[in-house]
Amino acid sequence: MSILSFAGTRLLYAIPVLLGVTVIVFMALQLVPGDIALTLLGRMATQEQLVALRQELGLDRSLVVQYLGWLASLLQGDIGHSISQQLPVTQILMPKIGNSLILMAGSLFFVLTFGFILSVLSAPRFRQLTDKLVVGLTLVLASLPVFWLGIVLLYFFGFKWKLFPISGMYNMVNPGGFGQLLHHMILPAIATASSSIAVVTRVTRSRMIDVLGQPYILAARARGLSRHKIVLRHAVRNTLPTFANIGGLQIGYLFGSVIFTEIIFNWPGVGLLLFDAILQRDVPVIQGCVLIVALVFVLGNLMSDVIVHALDPKQR
Amino acid sequence: MTAVSETIAPAKPMPQRRTNLYFVWCGVLGDPVARVAAAIIILLVLMAIFAPWIAPFPPNEANPALRLMPPGTEGHLLGLDNQGRDILSRIIHGSQLTLISGILPVILGAAISIPLGLIGAWYPRLGEVIMRVMDVLFAFPMALLAIMLAALMGPGLVNMMIALVITLVPYNTRVVYAAARQERELAYVEASRAMATPDLKILFVEMLPNVVAASIVYSCTIVGAVVITAAGLSFLGLGVQPPIAEWGIMTSEGRSFVFVAPHIAAIPGLAITLLVMAFNLLGDSLRDSLDPKTRLTLVKHRPGPGGG
Repeated sequence: MSILSFAGTRLLYAIPVLLGVTVIVFMALQLVPGDIALTLLGRMATQEQLVALRQELGLDRSLVVQYLGWLASLLQGDIGHSISQQLPVTQILMPKIGNSLILMAGSLFFVLTFGFILSVLSAPRFRQLTDKLVVGLTLVLASLPVFWLGIVLLYFFGFKWKLFPISGMYNMVNPGGFGQLLHHMILPAIATASSSIAVVTRVTRSRMIDVLGQPYILAARARGLSRHKIVLRHAVRNTLPTFANIGGLQIGYLFGSVIFTEIIFNWPGVGLLLFDAILQRDVPVIQGCVLIVALVFVLGNLMSDVIVHALDPKQR
Repeated sequence: MTAVSETIAPAKPMPQRRTNLYFVWCGVLGDPVARVAAAIIILLVLMAIFAPWIAPFPPNEANPALRLMPPGTEGHLLGLDNQGRDILSRIIHGSQLTLISGILPVILGAAISIPLGLIGAWYPRLGEVIMRVMDVLFAFPMALLAIMLAALMGPGLVNMMIALVITLVPYNTRVVYAAARQERELAYVEASRAMATPDLKILFVEMLPNVVAASIVYSCTIVGAVVITAAGLSFLGLGVQPPIAEWGIMTSEGRSFVFVAPHIAAIPGLAITLLVMAFNLLGDSLRDSLDPKTRLTLVKHRPGPGGG
């Protein structure tokens, strides 16, 4: 199967999942205690507005009809109106998505780089000191709560040693520039990446240990290849599909962590928006954020599947 | 299954046939790291149970004169927080809700997942429907689904627990489903069917004990992640509400004072890390000792209390 047709099939499979996601986000609205129209419009709503919205949502009709109406406007890009900001949710959400994706890309970079380096360092030295140190490090990284690690990094690197800025994406006084963005991004990206680095390293390391036990590695050694060449040419090449797979799975997990780091480092992304929406009980914005994250998650997994497919000749 | 082999064992020695319990015993208790982890967890559980008696102060007793004082202050080993409450006492009291909100959702989630997975594996059509629903739930990152559900139901301990249980069900169901699908093909199940045993009896009497191990191991490996997620929900203000002591909300309260008094946020976060690390170590060890691929080597290499 060619890559394109594989990607096409996977995209077709993703559609029912995405439809299911919309059903869940829609049904979640039923969990809100009290009147839905009042929840969606906020306490400041007038009686006429409430009546009009009830009419529009068809609250007197069956859930299926309500859902179809909601889905129709969703497909036209209408998620509803924010209660606190009196703006369409899409308009608030759009600029934030880009910011979150920038932070995610930064932390994904750390996850892949450190995951790769730590695996290549530890797997060939199985049960030696380096390996044990790496395993210990992954254990610590996997156990650190992201919100706490963020605060610790903020305190030491941002406040005490003043190496990195403590909040936002750009300098407030003199904004702009890619270098400035990178400078602001390093701490939140590391905090976000930490537990994913642990997961990626563990999985990649154990796969590479398996690979290094294969007969073709023994054959390569018999032919007199140096350990260096064996690891870099043979072991790494055969570990890549697993690495890409577990790396891709982290996309969703990173989004879970990004919510916390954005709050701690005041990064103007979806996570911070979601947090503010939670505080103000701004239900349409909460729904919008969740929908967008789920969409990115599903598409990210799809992309990583396609990459794995391209990397792994056995799957073709 | 366990009872049978134990009653047979003294009559004639059967070294080939070991129960899962034997491997857990040797694998976990033979591993010094896992022993330390288990000891930490037991200590924390005891601390939670006896909190009112061992804590030097009530969790909400404030001494405004000493607010923000660092660890080592006279009579307050870990210092005081922004309201002048003793942090050590709040850590000790907070361990109750932190442990409960990490462990209870896992247990409740397993209690829902096990029948779901078993029934799904037994009736293929129904199983297909169940697993597709789970696929949709998998489309949300774990923390996000819990945040959305808790945010919409409204903040509070009970709502947070419900949100966590719903979030955990798909993961555990997938594990049980996979285990039950394999189990279904085994001879003893076929024998039971041939004897016209009712479906439900095969599922919940014959198959359940063999499937439950996979679910328990999986549950143990995720308790750590659930503790972090639960503390994170409280950190966001969606779980336990102040002034109740819980480690996540204590970290959140300390965040506002991080530049003045960093210990307020540092200590509860460190406590969470320690607890999660202990759970992760124990979970890993448990998984290794029940995994047929690794358990024999573990038992062989470790001079365990079971003799090895």
